[in-house]
Parts: sequence; structure tokens; C-alpha cells
Amino acid sequence: MTPPTLHTERLTLTALNERHFEPMAAFYADDRSSFVGGPLTAERAWRVLAGEIGHWTLRGYGRFAVELTATGEMVGLIGPWNPHAWPEPEIGWDLMNGHEGKGYATEAAKATRDWAYSALGWTTVISLVAEGNHGSRKVAERLGCTLERPYTHEIYGTMNIWRHPGPEVAS
Amino acid sequence: MTPPTLHTERLTLTAPSARHFAPLAEFYASERSSFVGGPLTADRAWRALAMEAGHWSLRGYGRFAVELTETGELVGVVGPWFPEGNPEPEIGWDLMNGYEGKGYAAEAAIEARRWVYEELGWQTAMSLVDRDNIASAKLSESMGCKKDGQFHSPSFGALDIWRHPGPEAL
Repeated sequence: MTPPTLHTERLTLTALNERHFEPMAAFYADDRSSFVGGPLTAERAWRVLAGEIGHWTLRGYGRFAVELTATGEMVGLIGPWNPHAWPEPEIGWDLMNGHEGKGYATEAAKATRDWAYSALGWTTVISLVAEGNHGSRKVAERLGCTLERPYTHEIYGTMNIWRHPGPEVAS
Repeated sequence: MTPPTLHTERLTLTAPSARHFAPLAEFYASERSSFVGGPLTADRAWRALAMEAGHWSLRGYGRFAVELTETGELVGVVGPWFPEGNPEPEIGWDLMNGYEGKGYAAEAAIEARRWVYEELGWQTAMSLVDRDNIASAKLSESMGCKKDGQFHSPSFGALDIWRHPGPEAL
């Protein structure tokens, strides 16, 4: 499936491609990626990017490259995510370096949640937030999520499951 | 780019998709995958499959799922491969468990090589083979490859570079 392009007030959500490698490699080179399996070498970051794109092939949905509409800069990697053996489909968000604190994660995650509800027909969705990831926890709270239970993953360690408001409330 | 579907005498080379997960996970769960970064858990194997699919988007080419035309069974993952950090594009091949010794890797790799020369316009191709992977080295020789240096992969260790005959030689 070819990813659609979604628009919010400040952001364009679009298909990932090779122009997103550089910002993703910078993110994965940084300690900021420690909550999502990093830091990783550029070689590994490229494989992660390829895996994000292939997720669309395997599931029919996946995460979007989130760009600032004004400049085209990539600010995040956000959207529905459900790799093998995930507890259930989630909305995931990673903010690229230097784009924290501006509300981009909340703005984009909300748009992808709306899309998952309306286009994919999801009736519920979670987000997994690593223990100690305060920035991400705040995003979950701003999105109206409620803390459900902890979950431990072989790659990412212990995370908390946050449950989003359902389609009827969230819209 | 959407992968084309190619046909050989016994095999169909097609786009990697979700139906290939079970055999790929089995391959990566076994010691046979030790030359290509395994063994891996099912979670990691799923990500490896997603990566194979995403490679097509990033490069415009990638490895094919190789199926027995008669039954649809996945016998291998074979084709052009060029992840970040590799010295140059290669033709790679992994045979799934239980399909060794039947000439499937050679049959698929020869077709993939034809495709990269004729359709992608490659002027040269190589294959990276772990020094201890005797079966894979033999396959390289049978395809007319010659050893052409080494590459030390941060993930896979010391690999021999086997240079394929160029398009004009075939």
C-alpha cells in the first residue's frame, strides 16, 4: 500500500523515503534514541528506515515521515505501528533531534490516530511509552490517554501501555 | 518501486510479503542463518522481512522472495542488495531450511543477475560471502565469480568479495 499524505496546521505526513535517512541517522546516533532501541550506527539506522517502509508492505499501514510544511524538514516519525508480536497496534512517535517542545508529536500523533480510526477502522489503540521517557509520557497525556499496564519487550525493555480515547471521543 | 515477477524453469521470483514470514522466521531461528547475522528471534526476523521489502523503496531494487512455481513454497531470498555501509551493490542469496542442494540458489541468482544487468543497467556485480560459508563460495564459483578482495562488515565480520562476470561476458 502506498501511504497517503496527511496535512495538519503545521505539518505534512508523508511516505518515508531516502531523503529521511540523514535526520533518522542523526536521531539514532544520539542518546535521545535510547528509549527506542538506540543508539545505532548509520548502517543500522538505514535498516530501521527500510523496516519502517516495509511495515507498510506487510501490514498495509505504518508510520509517516512528519515534515514541517513550511520547510520540508523532517521533525518526526509518527503513526500506526504493529511489528510482529506487539501486544496490539499502537500509535508510535519519535521526534527527530532539535524538534522537541513544539507540540509536533501531539499534532502529528492526533492526525494519525484520526486516520487509523477513520481510514483503517480501528476501534481502539494504544501507545507504548518506555519507563522514564517523560517527554513521551506527556504527549500521551495530552492525547487523552490513560495508563493501563506495563509491558516488557526483548528489544525495548519495560514500557507502559497507554490507552487512547476511542473514535467517538477522540474526534 | 513495485518488484516485478520473474520466472525460471522451476522458480517464481516475486515481491517479499507477509506470507513469507513463517519460512523466513524458521530460517532465522536456525543455526543456518549464522552467516547472515542470525540466529534471530521471530521479532527480529519480522523486522528483517520488513527491511527486505523497504529496501525496494529506498534503492529501486531489492531481493526477491523465491518460490517454487509448482507449490508456492518459499525456497529462498535472492537478488540485488545494497544496504547502507556495504562497499557496492551485490547479488545476495539465502536458502530457506530444507531447500539446500537442489540448485535453487544458482537458478534464482542467475536470473537476478540477468535482471540487474539487463533491466537496471549494472556494469558489474559482486557477492559477499562469509569465509567459512563453503556452500555459498561454491555457488559463487559455479556462477563464474572470482575472488576480488575482502570487506570487513561491522555486523557480519570478514566477508570475501566474489566478482561476477560482467554483462558482456555473459
